[in-house]
Amino acid sequence: MNYDWSVVWQYRQMLLDGIGITILLTVLTMLVAVPGGILLALMRLSSMPWLARGSTAFVELFRNLPLILVVYWAFYVMPMVSDIELSAFNTGLLALCLNVSAYNSETFRAGIQSIRKGQAEAAVALGFSNTQAMFKIILPQAWRRVLPVLASTWVALFKDTSLVSVIAVGELAHASMTIRSQTFRVLEMLTAMAVIYWMLGYPQAKLVDWIREKYKVNE
Amino acid sequence: MEFDFSPILENWRYLWGGFGITLGLSGLTVAASLLLGFAMAIGRIYGPRWLRWPLVFYIDSMRAIPVLVVLVWTFFALPLLLGISIPTFWAAVIALTMHIAPFVAEIVRSGIESVRAGQTGAGLALGMSKAQVVRHLIMPQAVVRMLPSFGSVISITIKDTAIAAVIAVPEYMKRSETLAGQTYHPVEIFTFAMLVYFIILFPITRLVDMAYRRWAFLGRS
Repeated sequence: MNYDWSVVWQYRQMLLDGIGITILLTVLTMLVAVPGGILLALMRLSSMPWLARGSTAFVELFRNLPLILVVYWAFYVMPMVSDIELSAFNTGLLALCLNVSAYNSETFRAGIQSIRKGQAEAAVALGFSNTQAMFKIILPQAWRRVLPVLASTWVALFKDTSLVSVIAVGELAHASMTIRSQTFRVLEMLTAMAVIYWMLGYPQAKLVDWIREKYKVNE
Repeated sequence: MEFDFSPILENWRYLWGGFGITLGLSGLTVAASLLLGFAMAIGRIYGPRWLRWPLVFYIDSMRAIPVLVVLVWTFFALPLLLGISIPTFWAAVIALTMHIAPFVAEIVRSGIESVRAGQTGAGLALGMSKAQVVRHLIMPQAVVRMLPSFGSVISITIKDTAIAAVIAVPEYMKRSETLAGQTYHPVEIFTFAMLVYFIILFPITRLVDMAYRRWAFLGRS
């Protein structure tokens, strides 16, 4: 069997664009999902029952659905049941944001609950309001425990962006598979796709290990 | 907007078959990943030095490559490389196991390493062999601590089997997609699919959350 690896170089521009879209999707999703996760966690821990229930329902729903199904749903169903018409990119972004916000909310909730209750009580006794206690005392400490988990979520998200290729968002996976079907260089393109993901993802995975080690909480 | 759920009722046998394939694929993947994951973790901790770095490299690499890429590569590229054809179902079992087993290996490793080193020393001082220490002292404590995480492995695997739809494994996701295309009722079919996945996955995550709380005290030693 003859292999022709020049196809990778020949289509480098398309692959680079794909990498750009993959990174853009990861960054934009995280930019939405971190505040989104904090908001959902605060809603869930709030004393207003309907807020807490709404947040719990949202989080449990999206934690328990395959992301690829959410992507399909957002692409085929959402435009039919509502007037929302989004481009493929925005649809993919929306599905990723829903999924990652739900996971981040659990991360923040666990982080907030890991700070002992006595600290919030001490803050209130010192004349802080509940909001001040949350933003000045609890969140700054919770952050340290949350960061390593957010880093892992980041890597998972980076990989999950490949799933929006099923609705033809031109990120790395879709770009590689398009080149594959144009050139019939199946083995070369699919291997190149795996290697590019590895080159981008491996340092991130190693960085996560380093962050975990650095922020390790010794009880 | 009018909803018409008759395509689901009329094709329930087709969807039910897909559901069975989803469960079969998940079951096989979980079983194979547990075996392979245990083997990799034990090899990494107790194995000879030359075995360690390839295992670490493999585990870390799989954390960096999307499961979709592994699936597509196993189904389309691997047969070209080996000159054989692999049926979609088995390609999916292989690819998902390649992806999930390193995850299991990390769970097993952190479980084993959570048992304090002093216990190994104590066992050896009492005249137990290394293998006896691992089997009778470390594993019984470590496995209990791994159990909740194995629950997460099951729910992650079920969610990942939906991605096997991209290589046309006729599991629930793929069959929903086919049916949606044939009947022009994507709204009802995809929404129903959400319900189906939620109904299997929700009890599992609930049990896992309970297990974490119920068995948390066993983690102390």
